[in-house]
Amino acid sequence: MSYELVKAHLNLYAVLQNLEELVVHDNQMKDFVKDWNLSIQFYVPGGPKAFIVFKDGKCTVGRGVKRCASILLFFVSPAQLNKMFDGKGNPMLLRGFTKIGFLLKKFPVLTDRLAYYLKPTDELLKDSNYLELNTRFTLATAAFAAREIALHDPIGKLVCGHIRKGAVQLVVKPEGPGAYLQFDENGIDVKKGFAQRPMAVMEMKGMKEANAFLNGKVDGFTAIVKGDVAIKGQTSMLDSLSLVLDRVPEYLS
Amino acid sequence: MKTYSYKKSHALFNRAAKVIPCGIYGHFSPAPLIPVSDYPFYASRGKGSRFRDVDGNEFIDYMCAYGPMVLGYNHPKVEAAAAKYQKAGSCLMGPSPVMVELAEYMVDLISGMDWAFFAKNGGDVTNYAAMIARSATGRKKIVAISGGYHGVAPWMQAPGHHGLIEEDYVNMIRIRWNRFDEFEKAVKENPGQIAGFIASPYHHPTFVDNELPGDGYWQKVQALCNKEGIVLIIDDVRCGFRLDMRGSHVYFGFEPDLVCFCKAIANGHPISALMGKNSLKSEAARVFYTGSYWFQSAPMAAALATLKELRRINGPKIMLERGKKLLDGMVKIAANHGFTLKVSGAPSMPYLRITDDETLMLHQQWCAECTKRGAYFTSHHNWFISTAHTDADIKRTWDIVDEACKVIKKQYM
Repeated sequence: MSYELVKAHLNLYAVLQNLEELVVHDNQMKDFVKDWNLSIQFYVPGGPKAFIVFKDGKCTVGRGVKRCASILLFFVSPAQLNKMFDGKGNPMLLRGFTKIGFLLKKFPVLTDRLAYYLKPTDELLKDSNYLELNTRFTLATAAFAAREIALHDPIGKLVCGHIRKGAVQLVVKPEGPGAYLQFDENGIDVKKGFAQRPMAVMEMKGMKEANAFLNGKVDGFTAIVKGDVAIKGQTSMLDSLSLVLDRVPEYLS
Repeated sequence: MKTYSYKKSHALFNRAAKVIPCGIYGHFSPAPLIPVSDYPFYASRGKGSRFRDVDGNEFIDYMCAYGPMVLGYNHPKVEAAAAKYQKAGSCLMGPSPVMVELAEYMVDLISGMDWAFFAKNGGDVTNYAAMIARSATGRKKIVAISGGYHGVAPWMQAPGHHGLIEEDYVNMIRIRWNRFDEFEKAVKENPGQIAGFIASPYHHPTFVDNELPGDGYWQKVQALCNKEGIVLIIDDVRCGFRLDMRGSHVYFGFEPDLVCFCKAIANGHPISALMGKNSLKSEAARVFYTGSYWFQSAPMAAALATLKELRRINGPKIMLERGKKLLDGMVKIAANHGFTLKVSGAPSMPYLRITDDETLMLHQQWCAECTKRGAYFTSHHNWFISTAHTDADIKRTWDIVDEACKVIKKQYM
């Protein structure tokens, strides 16, 4: 799979899903989308496809094609989709011409807000609310990106080719957020929340420690020995997952 | 039983983390020790089978510094031999005669090997072995076992690890242990391209049960290597001198072309050795390979003293027997508490696992409970037995195991 195609998978399946949580945890955005009632389809022929549904103040991001989406955004290639995510290109609007105002003025407010949370600075991280949301989104992005890299990146496939079956849980203590990857004979599934009986667990001590770890400000070995991150269970699964996660910056800077 | 705390270890680590990558790197990183808070990070001294950490806690050591300690820490004969050469000057303008003496001794000791070459670490000699194989055959590819460990040179590491490029592993063919059919297939699919086959005498990866060779496995591998002109390299770095003084290939009944030794060879002094058949001696001479400290005489004297002592007392027999006694007792104690403790690998370097919990969390907790009571166990790696482990150590270990079983039983059952 080409670089652009893997990156398109990450953009649609790992980055976009954060909108669900954004409208839950950011009060300004929660209020902003409360009356939205429409859906947007992202379509890349021969590539990833995803949709967003806004209804009753909720946002749902799904994989695949949603029939009769209000807006259909068509991308001639994965590279074109990636350009849009990088703020350097536009899609072709194939359906929803009456909603062009929404696309040009309203929707970018939401995506800009997500970009704001996904691009931390030391100054922004001094705000505990910002730190919490950045941690939450970074954890989810990492978990969802790990699936795509493990399935599609050439090295990711090699690393995860022989991974043991079972769930790998990532969690910020004491109460979350959490996300887990389930490896089984059918492939890899990723979910937010908590697995019933994980084979391996990585627990981050708190939001601050999780943020430093997830943003690469401290290496995993040191974080573990200092007690900021705890691992247990089939930790060879975490070793593999760690190598996969280390490849995310190759695609998402 | 009193449990240990590690205040000074933790304080030292915090200092280290500021000036050393990872604080403690490589195989000594405490990160795989679970939970890490139950383990010491820094050692201060050792004697016999035991070491003390910087907090003054004493441990019966079942990791033996990950293998080098074989006769006991600070063994008087070994230390006296090393000290004699250290005093005279260990790193001089030319090798010491003890280098010749050690090579002659090892050629006499190790079955089927005609020459010896000395370096420092196991990875030095596994890498040299691969270079010799490539030089001798004019071929590029090396066959190795998935999960097998031969050091940290780029070709030895699995894809995805940092610092590797595709070219580092493009000539590596990884097959599963004990799968002769996969070796046959690799040979068939890469005609005239395979320079060497490298493996440990038996499969001792981390995190999973260790596996001995199946009936006839090594003999079939040797026969195919001989037929196809593939250099058969045995990485005896971990097993060496814990199964058979003549080399672990004798223990399993086959004859390699090159054998790599390190760890137990000098009871903790820094030296490794590559040994080979006469047919590869000229090729070994052609491959330029050296290091600043590879000619130090003190580690060579230590190696000579260690090997002589191990041979005199039949060290491998002692370690296999004491290991079996220790492990049989532990399995019974665990069973008395309702736990199934599975032992795999050789009794002198066993891998243990409580099988009642496939996640390993129960096993990790048990190892930690034992460690903080004074029996140093790891949950991810095979252990090592030394000739210095006494019956008193074994009895004390059984008491610790018993109490640790009680503790985890309360938590898990």
